[in-house]
Amino acid sequence: MTTFNHTRRAVLRGGGALSVLGAGTPLALQLAASAAAAATTGDYKALVCIFQLGGNDGHNTVLATDADTWGRYSSARSAGITPIALMPVGTAPTPPPASPADMTPANWGGVLPITPKTPQPIPPGTTATSRTFAVHPYMPEVQSLFAAGRLAVVANVGPLLQPVAKSDYSPNSPLLPANLTSHIDQQAFWQAAYAAAGKQGGWGGALGDLLSGLNPVNSPYSLISATGGALFLTGMRAGQYAISPGPLPATTITALQSAATLNGSPTDPAELSAVIQDTSSLSHFANDYAGMVTQSITAATFVNTAVAAAPPIPAPPAYKSPFSGVSSPNSLALQLQGVAAMIAAAPRMGLRRQVFFVTQPSYDNHDYQNAVQPDLLGQLSQALAYFDATLRNIGGADISASVTTFTASEFGRTLTSNGTGTDHAWGSHHLVMGGAVKGGDLYGVYPTIGIDTGSFNNPDMVGDYLIPTTAMDQYAATLGAWLGVASTDLNTIFPNLAKFAPTNMGFV
Amino acid sequence: MAALAALPVAGTLIYGTTTVLKNIRPSTVVVAPASAARFLTQASFGPSDASIATLQSEGIPAWIAQQEAIPPSPTTLNYVQQWALSWSPTNPDTVPIIPTIVYNGIWKGAITNNDQLRERVRLALSEIFVVSFNTPVMKSRSVASYYDMLGADAFGNFRNLLQDVTLHPAMGVYLNMMSNFKENLATGQHPDQNYAREVMQLMTIGLYQLHQDGTPITDTNGKPLPTFSQTDVSGLASVFTGYGWYTSNPNAVGTLPAFAGTNKPLEGWVNTMQPYPSYHSTSAKTFLGVTIPASTMPNPAGDLKIALDTIFNHPNVGPFIGRQLIQRLVASNPSPAYVSRVAAVFNNDGKGVRGNMAAVVAAILLDPEARNDSVGSDPSLGPTFGKLREPVVQMANWARAFGARSSSGWWKIGDASPPTMLSQQTLNAPSVFNFWSPTYIPPPATALGHGGLFAPEFQVINAVSTAGYLNVMLRTAYRGAGPNDSKTGVPDVSTAYPTLTPLARDAGSLADKVSLMLLYGQMSAALRAHIINAVNTVNIPGPPATTAQINTALARRVYLAVYFTLASPEYMVQR
Repeated sequence: MTTFNHTRRAVLRGGGALSVLGAGTPLALQLAASAAAAATTGDYKALVCIFQLGGNDGHNTVLATDADTWGRYSSARSAGITPIALMPVGTAPTPPPASPADMTPANWGGVLPITPKTPQPIPPGTTATSRTFAVHPYMPEVQSLFAAGRLAVVANVGPLLQPVAKSDYSPNSPLLPANLTSHIDQQAFWQAAYAAAGKQGGWGGALGDLLSGLNPVNSPYSLISATGGALFLTGMRAGQYAISPGPLPATTITALQSAATLNGSPTDPAELSAVIQDTSSLSHFANDYAGMVTQSITAATFVNTAVAAAPPIPAPPAYKSPFSGVSSPNSLALQLQGVAAMIAAAPRMGLRRQVFFVTQPSYDNHDYQNAVQPDLLGQLSQALAYFDATLRNIGGADISASVTTFTASEFGRTLTSNGTGTDHAWGSHHLVMGGAVKGGDLYGVYPTIGIDTGSFNNPDMVGDYLIPTTAMDQYAATLGAWLGVASTDLNTIFPNLAKFAPTNMGFV
Repeated sequence: MAALAALPVAGTLIYGTTTVLKNIRPSTVVVAPASAARFLTQASFGPSDASIATLQSEGIPAWIAQQEAIPPSPTTLNYVQQWALSWSPTNPDTVPIIPTIVYNGIWKGAITNNDQLRERVRLALSEIFVVSFNTPVMKSRSVASYYDMLGADAFGNFRNLLQDVTLHPAMGVYLNMMSNFKENLATGQHPDQNYAREVMQLMTIGLYQLHQDGTPITDTNGKPLPTFSQTDVSGLASVFTGYGWYTSNPNAVGTLPAFAGTNKPLEGWVNTMQPYPSYHSTSAKTFLGVTIPASTMPNPAGDLKIALDTIFNHPNVGPFIGRQLIQRLVASNPSPAYVSRVAAVFNNDGKGVRGNMAAVVAAILLDPEARNDSVGSDPSLGPTFGKLREPVVQMANWARAFGARSSSGWWKIGDASPPTMLSQQTLNAPSVFNFWSPTYIPPPATALGHGGLFAPEFQVINAVSTAGYLNVMLRTAYRGAGPNDSKTGVPDVSTAYPTLTPLARDAGSLADKVSLMLLYGQMSAALRAHIINAVNTVNIPGPPATTAQINTALARRVYLAVYFTLASPEYMVQR
């Protein structure tokens, strides 16, 4: 019981589950069951943001496969020296070329169908009588998670200040977020929507601030990044803590461990400890640095001790490219291993609310899209499956209903090709996973696909861009509400939220 | 040197604590050692005993002029070629080169090249005109040649630098101007917009219109005015079409396979991209208030000249580039007046030339704001002046300060990118946005963040990276950097601290020498006291101790003094 004890109250509430086992159950099993009960019913929740850096091409991630949509999709993406249009559902893969870098969609076979529980509306401009969907051929795990009801798709999400129609669009219009196709600005919008309200910091950090009362006073472990400092996690009150990927989240400062470390010197490490944490400088730079060193020292002992006492987290398997068979470390899954280790240790650290941030780089595929994006999606898919399986078995406990994982990315990409890749655009599709997610469904409106040509005028696209049909604020506020933030506070964090409906999309 | 023509002659300026010797020419200014060390912390990969002596005798303006006049040489590509020859004397071009080899070539140049100002400026330029091994399509020889190009152009004209960056195959591949096809109205295919956007946003003019002092120009509501819109990006993207792979094969010139780089021959990775008119857009191209009319004859070189001239002459370039170079060399939060003075030199070097980078670099380093040696102890300026040191500069600083040598001669310090190492490796930034943003402000809970101050390098400082730095520097100070030599077990780059060991019997003298080399003589009394305490715990044995025992004790004293200083928060800041 002491090894996995979120709160005393949580264990008491778990009593109902315990009693089912009856009096004859061996003590060890009872203890394991109570730990599981504490984990599943305990008041613990975490959000995990997977940020796809560079702007993921949503058009090749979640696809509408009705014949009307497919025709326009396919023709837009078959131009150029290297077609980037994926193959229809059911197409058999062709043997891979000698070099994995030369793979084309034909080598991967057809897209993988997914069937939402709720029939999807037909948007204006789409002539299909019903809509069908699929995911990229590198994402069979996502297909399975969707079918199992553990993962949902939220279609065509993007930064908006207010609902806009195609006629509202003009470059640099004040109705639109500033610098729509700039990486830096749109990453900032996705991570720090409320910066628009004149505040510093990200919405993950703002959620952490609001929920910090549920965690130990001044705990630095509410907001955790596996990828260095993150705007998303910058809070006004709560600090963020950086962890290393892999099984041991905290990095220890070797020289402080013993006098012997300093090459046999009899010097007391306390002398060094005083030096590296000295905040008596006139310089803000020096003192702020010393403050970070202090955080690192404090955390190294506390975090690694808590993690060592918590159930171990299995290492993720290497990423195996499904069609070339090439293996490589899955850096996203390794980050999620560190996240899982922190989640497993959360009860020992007295934490009841946490927000995590992990990243996957290299989605900015202006060129060589066929050589890069599929493996990124494959790593994402395999990492999601690993993370879900891991959270369903933390020392025998399924805590997956306490953790919701979602994707974010600064923008989607142009529907048409520039020859071998795509350029910056606007709306895109995203994935949400977890035991609390109402999965197996597609939320929002999957838009009409296709660039204007002849008499075809797509109300959902300007030029090459999808106009978001769901505001990032709606997507984020739904996640924030699940974490336990009140709607009045959500309206502060997302100052434009009230301009959109619904403010809770109901996917979790 | 023309770059310095507008400056007062040496001898009329006082740079820090100076001494004018009586028995030499009256115009000769001798710079105090601490002042020289502080200048060299800004203008080089850190002071060495030799560079302090040179600077002391030449004075700062003459040293800058001398440094800028040293002819550039392609030291990185030469290193790669020597490495390849060591593996295959007959077929060096077939030797595969991993990025680590390029990194080692860069380490060697940063630590040992005599044109230190060029070295430091090309590091700065590589963080503005970013290409990176972070994408697997990059080729080592290409990236090495790109870094050498940045060095060669560091003190030339910015317009030339802009052109060379634009047409270098490493940038062509990294930001996709290479093999960029013109639009196809039938299929909807459009020109790639990546380089068109980033050359404006990151490399020349930025997102918002700037006053000469770098502050944004606002509308009547106080909203900053954008410099360009997506329309300008699209227009410029059409200009950047029709450049493809260099080929020396006359039969291949102009063909689709050559344009698209079907075979990507080695020569294409290191030679300037070539125009392929048939893939260049002939549509009208509008950007930044200029329109190139539609034509029947594609003219890639002519259109490119109009585009780069237009960007180069935008009034933002001086403050935008000037501010970033100040941030790389001197301070994260230069005053608007400092930015304005540097931008003025960019706009006109005094001889009517715009974009004279030799003059701009000199203006940055000679500015009174940079040359105020007592700024660190000034109650009003001390808290905010300066910058966090860059990790790669810190490593080179250690090597140069204490005479480190490479036992193999290859300077195998390797890739310092991981957060558990130094969180930085030249030419391996995570993206085109470099290791950090020039406008990064730390979180509100910090003093810097609370004050709304910029601290770009702080973007890589966190609980992991602080521990990583302290662990890397522990090994470095005590043993050295790079892989252990298989025979001796000593790291490839190491030093016996020849200048410190003779001082090790006197803890105060030892601390003072380390202070000069790492802290330009401004070590705090508190740090000095800690070092003296620590050093004095290591007794130097008397008779009958062996020489080896004595040397061990002396070495331990040196290691402690060096590591304590490298580990101190005051060393993390350059001010």
